[in-house]
Amino acid sequence: MLGEFDLVEPTSVAEASEVLARHGDAARIYAGGTELILAMKEGLIRYDYLVNVKTIPGLAGVRVNDDGTLRIGGATSHRALERDPLVRERFPVIARMESDVANVRVREVGTLGGNLCFAEPHADPGTLLMLFDATVRIERKGGARTIPLEQLFVGPFETCLEPDEVLTEIVVPPLPVHSGSAYLKFGFLERPSVGVGVAVTTDDGRVREARIAVGCVGPVPRRMREAEAALAGQTAAESRNTLAEAGRIAARASDAITDLHGSADYKEHLVGVLLRRAFEQALASSDGSGAP
Amino acid sequence: MIIGTAAERLDAREKVTGAARYVSDLVVPEMLHAKVWRAPVPHARLLGVDGSRAARSPGVVAVCTATDLPVKRLHYGPAFKDQPILAHEIIRYAGEPVVAVVADTERHAAAALALIDVSYRELPAVTSAAEALAQGAPVLHPALDRSGHFRDLSGLRPVAGTNVCQHYHYDRGDVARAFAEADLTVEDVYHYPALSHHALEAHCAVARVDGDGLTVWTGTQHPFPVRKELAEVFDLPLAAVQVIVPLIGGAFGGKCYTKIEPLAAALAARVRRSALTITRHAVTVRLRTAVRSDGTLLARECDVVLDTGAYADIGPRVATKAGYRAPGPYRIPCLSIDARCVYTNNVPAGAYRGYGVPQVTWASESQMDQIAERLGLDPLAFREKNLLKRGEEYVAGDTPMDGDMADALAQTGAAIDWGRARERGRGVGLACAMKDGGGTHTVSTAAVRVNADGSVTLLTGSVEMGQGSRTALAQIAAETLGVPLSAIVVESPDTSITPYDHGTSASRSTTVMGLAVEAAARDARGQLLELAAKFFGTEPEKLAIHDGVVACGERTMTVGDVVSGHFGLVGGEVTGLGTFVPGTWSGSLGGATLFWEVGMGAAEVQVDADTGEISVEKYVSVADVGQAINARECAAQDEGAAMQAIGPALFESRVSEAGHLVNPGLIDYRVPTFADLPRELETVLIENRDGPGPFGSKGVGEGGTFCPAPAIANAVARATGVRIKDLPMTPERVWRALRDARGTRRG
Repeated sequence: MLGEFDLVEPTSVAEASEVLARHGDAARIYAGGTELILAMKEGLIRYDYLVNVKTIPGLAGVRVNDDGTLRIGGATSHRALERDPLVRERFPVIARMESDVANVRVREVGTLGGNLCFAEPHADPGTLLMLFDATVRIERKGGARTIPLEQLFVGPFETCLEPDEVLTEIVVPPLPVHSGSAYLKFGFLERPSVGVGVAVTTDDGRVREARIAVGCVGPVPRRMREAEAALAGQTAAESRNTLAEAGRIAARASDAITDLHGSADYKEHLVGVLLRRAFEQALASSDGSGAP
Repeated sequence: MIIGTAAERLDAREKVTGAARYVSDLVVPEMLHAKVWRAPVPHARLLGVDGSRAARSPGVVAVCTATDLPVKRLHYGPAFKDQPILAHEIIRYAGEPVVAVVADTERHAAAALALIDVSYRELPAVTSAAEALAQGAPVLHPALDRSGHFRDLSGLRPVAGTNVCQHYHYDRGDVARAFAEADLTVEDVYHYPALSHHALEAHCAVARVDGDGLTVWTGTQHPFPVRKELAEVFDLPLAAVQVIVPLIGGAFGGKCYTKIEPLAAALAARVRRSALTITRHAVTVRLRTAVRSDGTLLARECDVVLDTGAYADIGPRVATKAGYRAPGPYRIPCLSIDARCVYTNNVPAGAYRGYGVPQVTWASESQMDQIAERLGLDPLAFREKNLLKRGEEYVAGDTPMDGDMADALAQTGAAIDWGRARERGRGVGLACAMKDGGGTHTVSTAAVRVNADGSVTLLTGSVEMGQGSRTALAQIAAETLGVPLSAIVVESPDTSITPYDHGTSASRSTTVMGLAVEAAARDARGQLLELAAKFFGTEPEKLAIHDGVVACGERTMTVGDVVSGHFGLVGGEVTGLGTFVPGTWSGSLGGATLFWEVGMGAAEVQVDADTGEISVEKYVSVADVGQAINARECAAQDEGAAMQAIGPALFESRVSEAGHLVNPGLIDYRVPTFADLPRELETVLIENRDGPGPFGSKGVGEGGTFCPAPAIANAVARATGVRIKDLPMTPERVWRALRDARGTRRG
């Protein structure tokens, strides 16, 4: 059963950072708790203080800059993203991915920042957002820094956040014009076994750029730049022939592990299958409208 | 008519609104809470327990080990008294209760668990039935003490000096000769994984000891057997033990017989705890079948091995029943069956909806399709040729087949559009099965109390665990008495108040308790008519009761007026009693089968060759219910059973490594959800009014679990040519089989 802890509800990020700094390992950010509380109930981890960042004014919310960049507050719930009109219009692939995260109860209380910072490998958002070269803003009392999302993940359940840092914002630049994107996942347990995101930018019938991200199979989600390079510059017809090779490259690079979700070789195979399917979908939606 | 209608469930409103109360909602004055320290290893010798720090922890009242418990008998169990209330000297599975902490709050009890210091020396663990049967395996229970609670268990045959706690054997005919003369022999090994029941409500019991004896509130399916067990543990007369069962939040067999009640009771007084304690047996079936080229079954050899875990629980009976049912619902002249129930250092396995049938049907119905394919026969026609006909004996001396299985099979085929050709990657498959339903030699008693206002109190020991027994039994009582359904209130089982009942299992309540209720209602009705006849100045035979009104031609009187009129307006009641006692004593199970619960199923699947994913496009479940007392509840039971069985067909299993469960919790151990519903799910109820229960009914509720796995596997085989013999059919397993098949074809 859930052990006892104090719930701290700061009113600013600086205050949250201060509380976290004061209690060190005894404190942890609560940003929805859909993973954290499960682990605490199981007795796997224990904290004396949970610091609720969901009640900090201004930390939840979605806006789009004039240049089309999507800015998501760290405490924005999956459900809010799934239903947000701007996200659905400008970043439909993100809205779709969010609408398929876990179940509606998790989506209602779980937040995007919480999801990224818990760094559970079998998760969807990190993989997809990498396609957009998303960055995250990280704040602490008296300072802030912005890093590429790719650098956030260090290992399973491990990020580069310092104990007193709070992820406050996820910044998602739009894809170039003539881009299409897709995110596909596959699994048979509650969490996905494999997640693959693909974004394709076309230019006069050629693949100007392909972006590929793979998650769930290995310790952290990551971009597959070698596989991306294999597809860049090809005609649509050529790229289809190259997909199998790109899939093999991505599979090798994914650091697949054998666990309850499947054997490593099966997951590597699935990376290739999902890459091919996601690429076809992304290519089909790169119709020049610019909306991925 | 109240029978056969889709009457609304009596408990629907209170459950939907959350007003329904379960054991864990119960608060007893001065109640304390208990938590259990569980063994971290599967097999070890206990060296010592230091509970002194825990005892000083805030709120802690007591820290108890096996030797601290104030009991006459430490061990309990429905087949053998092999299970200690708390582990004594030996730990036999990871998760076994070893020390109990009693405290003022659940939180204090849980906090104190961390302060308990247990020293032990690990022993080599037996982690599978195959290891347990191997030469030189550690013998986990060198001596076994029979419980003697159930007549059919008096004939158990444990094998001395081994881990086999029951070896069931049956044979008939000249099996060797049949195989020698067969045109085709098919032999395969099939595996069915261990499962958890995952009822929504966890195990929970509250116990109170006072001058009158012991009272236990618990969510058990077997209030009266629990009473007997507790009476033996504490050496009390049956009358001094009171077992009360409120609503249960799902059970599926996981709450059969005695579970945590002795511990709750032994922790002196007013104690409460919850735990997950039982599983479905992992089963390996080796099946060999001899058949003539025209599709006539000649012989079957079945070797069934069940991993029953550290304690027998009801495993020996599951083994016996699994063996008895292994050949399938067919006419097979020669049989040789062995079913062995084997101790291991896994979590004890026990009753689970279907009692061995889903496991053996997985094997036998898979192989039926393999045989049909080898012989070039249509799987439906091949089955029809061999199915038992009405009146044919399954086993000499047991009740002959009481249903029309050919009709059920035809309806199964029609519902799935069997003859239609499917596109590539799609296939249909079917399966049929039956079990001896209603339990073996079981007794039920019911009381009907007609109150002075015409309302009716129905007293039965049947447990409402979600299956709708209260509603069905109330419908039977209302119909028989001639009162509206709304006049009936069904009381919860209380061994000190409600009359004796064997238990709520084996699809028996509607049939067996139903007959007792019908008899009790008839008894009360007879008394009412006698009384009314005096008022009308006529003979009882000239009267009729309908909708709570007694009519004598044009003249009428309400039932309430009859009762209150008789007693002179001061109250009083008319009490009817009914008992069902099985009449015959034959058959190899120690009693004749009351009815055959026939379940059939057909699946249409689509297989994604790239991922190996099976998508169930349609599933048809067919249940022979004789006569539906409540058609909506019958269909709901059958749908729920089919959905539950789709779990182990596609993804559900307990995964253990070296005796440790590696997928605890519902994130990694997945049970079916709404997202797993087949695109179409259809239930067909067969109603030929040929059951022994009230109005021609038969039991329902387990049959839907028999066929999904083999029907889906058969559909996958017909879609892809690939035969899966191990469950669950995960995408990876199917993908590997497809890949291997492609490799073989190329090679």
